[in-house]
Amino acid sequence: MIALSVAAVLAVFLVYTSLAGNGTPSVSPSELATKTGEVALAGRVVGTPTGDPHGAGMRFLLRDIQGADKQHVTVLYKGSVPDLFRTGRDVVVTGTQHPDGTFVTTPGSMITKCPSKYQAAKS
Amino acid sequence: MAELGRAALIVTLGLALYALVAGGAAATLGRRRLALSARNALVAAFFSTVVATAVLVAGFVRNDFSLAYVADHSSRELPLPYKISAFWGGQEGSLLLWLLVLTGYSALAIWIAGKRARDLVVWVTPVLGAIAVGFTWLLVAVSSPFDTIPAPADGSGLNPSLQNPYMVAHPVFLYLGYVGLAVPFAFAMGALLSGRTDERWIVATRRWTIVAWTALGIGQLLGAHWAYQEVGWGGYYAWDPVENAALMPWLAATAFLHSVMIQEKRGMLRVWNVTLVSLAFCLSLFGTFLTRSGVVSSIHSFTQSGIGPWFLAFIVMAVVFSVTMIWLRLPQLRTSARLESLVSREATFLYNNLLLVALCLTILWGTAWPILSEAVRGEAVVVGRPYYDFFLRIFGLPLLLLMGIGPLVAWRRASLRGLGRVFMWPAAIALATGVLLILLGSGSSIPGLVAYTFSAFVLATIGMEFARGTAARRALTGEGIPTAFGRLVGRNRRRYGGYVVHASIVLLAIGVAGSSAYDSVVEGRLARGDSLAVGGYTLTYRGLTEREGANATEVRAVLDVRRGGDSLGTVQAGKNAYSVEQQVSNEVGIRSDLLTGEDLFVIAEQVNDDGTVFFRVFVKPLVNLIWLAGLVFVLGSLITLWPDAREERRLATRYARQGEPADGTATT
Amino acid sequence: MSFWLLLGAALAVAAVVVVALPFLHEPAPQSDALDELDAPERQRLEAEEERDRALAALKELEADHRAGRISDDDYRAVVGVIRRDAAEALRALDRLRGAAREGTGRGTAKSG
Repeated sequence: MIALSVAAVLAVFLVYTSLAGNGTPSVSPSELATKTGEVALAGRVVGTPTGDPHGAGMRFLLRDIQGADKQHVTVLYKGSVPDLFRTGRDVVVTGTQHPDGTFVTTPGSMITKCPSKYQAAKS
Repeated sequence: MAELGRAALIVTLGLALYALVAGGAAATLGRRRLALSARNALVAAFFSTVVATAVLVAGFVRNDFSLAYVADHSSRELPLPYKISAFWGGQEGSLLLWLLVLTGYSALAIWIAGKRARDLVVWVTPVLGAIAVGFTWLLVAVSSPFDTIPAPADGSGLNPSLQNPYMVAHPVFLYLGYVGLAVPFAFAMGALLSGRTDERWIVATRRWTIVAWTALGIGQLLGAHWAYQEVGWGGYYAWDPVENAALMPWLAATAFLHSVMIQEKRGMLRVWNVTLVSLAFCLSLFGTFLTRSGVVSSIHSFTQSGIGPWFLAFIVMAVVFSVTMIWLRLPQLRTSARLESLVSREATFLYNNLLLVALCLTILWGTAWPILSEAVRGEAVVVGRPYYDFFLRIFGLPLLLLMGIGPLVAWRRASLRGLGRVFMWPAAIALATGVLLILLGSGSSIPGLVAYTFSAFVLATIGMEFARGTAARRALTGEGIPTAFGRLVGRNRRRYGGYVVHASIVLLAIGVAGSSAYDSVVEGRLARGDSLAVGGYTLTYRGLTEREGANATEVRAVLDVRRGGDSLGTVQAGKNAYSVEQQVSNEVGIRSDLLTGEDLFVIAEQVNDDGTVFFRVFVKPLVNLIWLAGLVFVLGSLITLWPDAREERRLATRYARQGEPADGTATT
Repeated sequence: MSFWLLLGAALAVAAVVVVALPFLHEPAPQSDALDELDAPERQRLEAEEERDRALAALKELEADHRAGRISDDDYRAVVGVIRRDAAEALRALDRLRGAAREGTGRGTAKSG
């Protein structure tokens, strides 16, 4: 009886996650052109950010975290900016790409990653 | 000095390997001296790990930057407590901490259980040895804390967000929890390996499980409090993979805690229990893996380090081993005891287990889905809050209700009519509370209202249990109320300690419901003299202050707080700029109202050049109940853990004659 | 070799000694067999656990009934079952104890 109940429960949310299409696809700047709709863009900040995130919006450039520095995507971000945000940090922002190439984000959707807590190769 | 550290770890590796191989041989061949030798090896492994730990701590205290790990995580001006906590601030050090706790627990478990479960201990030693081998191997061959470099003038410093008392304690408690689950796991495997499938392994590890479970719970609350105060986005839990990594084993352990009671009382669910403890332990390994290997992108960890594949192999081995052992012993584990009624305490515990495991697996799926979808569909996916919130409600709210129902249902069989009588008053109280809350405006959130109503029900049942128990005792002994109450709890520590723990979970639920379903937020740019209004408060921005702290420049915006015409003092929020680490951290301003438990939470998002500041202000009702719940939780656990002299004596006499030949000559 | 490395070597030697200790202690023990439970011992242990379980269930039932958690009907329905279990467990324990006493007289051989 236990096994059946567990199986039933598992089935329920397996179906839910697979069908309900839960989750936003995570893409890198070089893959952005191939995707439509809302995505989570993960990249490294290059250059200097300009603008006011609590006003008209902050603009900054993202490049691929790994691989060649082929493509820079311009991001227009409004909302809270995490402490760790700066040039050279890896961030994830959720939003959609507009026809003019700018990636416009959902307000407040930026996450940054802690670099110095766990270090792999010595930078 | 690094050589001593490295040597100590190699010695530990040798000892752990010996404990595994010799212990396994001793158990299979039945050799007493070899078994003792293996046990000695495991205990000695603790001491050599202590030596390695001491070397690393000394490195931090003496600013020995020739140790690469010290140089990466400390600096000269770092305050001493943080220099010591930097020990577990990085990967290598935290692995060493894991090993220290593991060998310490192993030594203690073997020493304690050696008296009561001698035939189990002989198998537990190689299992614990195997786990120790895994971690020591990582420390010796893959990720050593004792790598040396030409010493720089000063270290890179500790990540500012870790320079916080909560972050000092959080990893320690988490590890006491994670590693603590290894002991019941090892005993379960020991029971399976030895063919002793009775309840002895459960009785031997009951306290270990509770201690580990409590530590894991406290560790998570500390982490949540840190996130609330330090990271400061206005919340305390973000369903981040690393947060989930600790929640999953805790949920599995909670289920395990309950289902072992069924095995103790009725001898049922043996297969379920060994499966559950294996799941809990494998999840705790998985949790450590998630945090260290960065396989799932999250706020905390993304570094592609070399230990990922090793950890994965480790987990796979643990899973394969547990499944194999359970499979092999399946015939011995099966019992004839059957569930007699769907309305019985066994059944409610079973429902509780199913809900907990369902929630645990839901979170596991949500956390692993990004990895899986990348492997299968070629694209990584991020699972959002709505998924977790949905399932938390679906599984969590019924669990909340069950906490009130379970303790009052009789074993074996309970009649619905009897139940109706017992639950009449609590249900009435809950209903009345619900109506009152709707009138007060809580109807704005249905899940929140349901959570509050269920909480009222559970608190009512707990209150009535204490009252009923005290009254029954007084009827028997004629004692005064305080004495009867004290003796009641003292004689039934597991039951009434359990009630206190349930009460703490209810407080947690109320706090979570209040601060997430009924919070308010406003944001805006303020110049000096401007005001913001939120949740009954009015905040007026007065000005900026700047001061030089120990290792950072601290900028604070000062605001006056008023509510309904009364001045409530000031609150400060701003940023710290850390010179050595070259980082800025958000420092939020929190004003807690002790009467209502609500927080006024102020974030100074942006300090502009023209002197204006962009603020984001939350009002979070009842959030402080969450932290209070932590204290009640510890209290309840302590009550259940407190040794009962009579019970101890009974168990001692039962097991004392174990291992003595029938003619009475005692062997050492 | 540096001082620290010497300390490390000393640690290794200490470890070996600790591990070898059980073999160095006794000259030649009569029996190197583990303190294993033989079948009668194990049965006795299991019977004692059954007995304790049944008695505890009885005690809890009484307490629940007195405190009003269980109705009279429910109590009457279950108490007979538990009392039967307890009696059975006590009988089984007596049987095993009797068998053990006889076994002592004959002398149990413990394999070396």
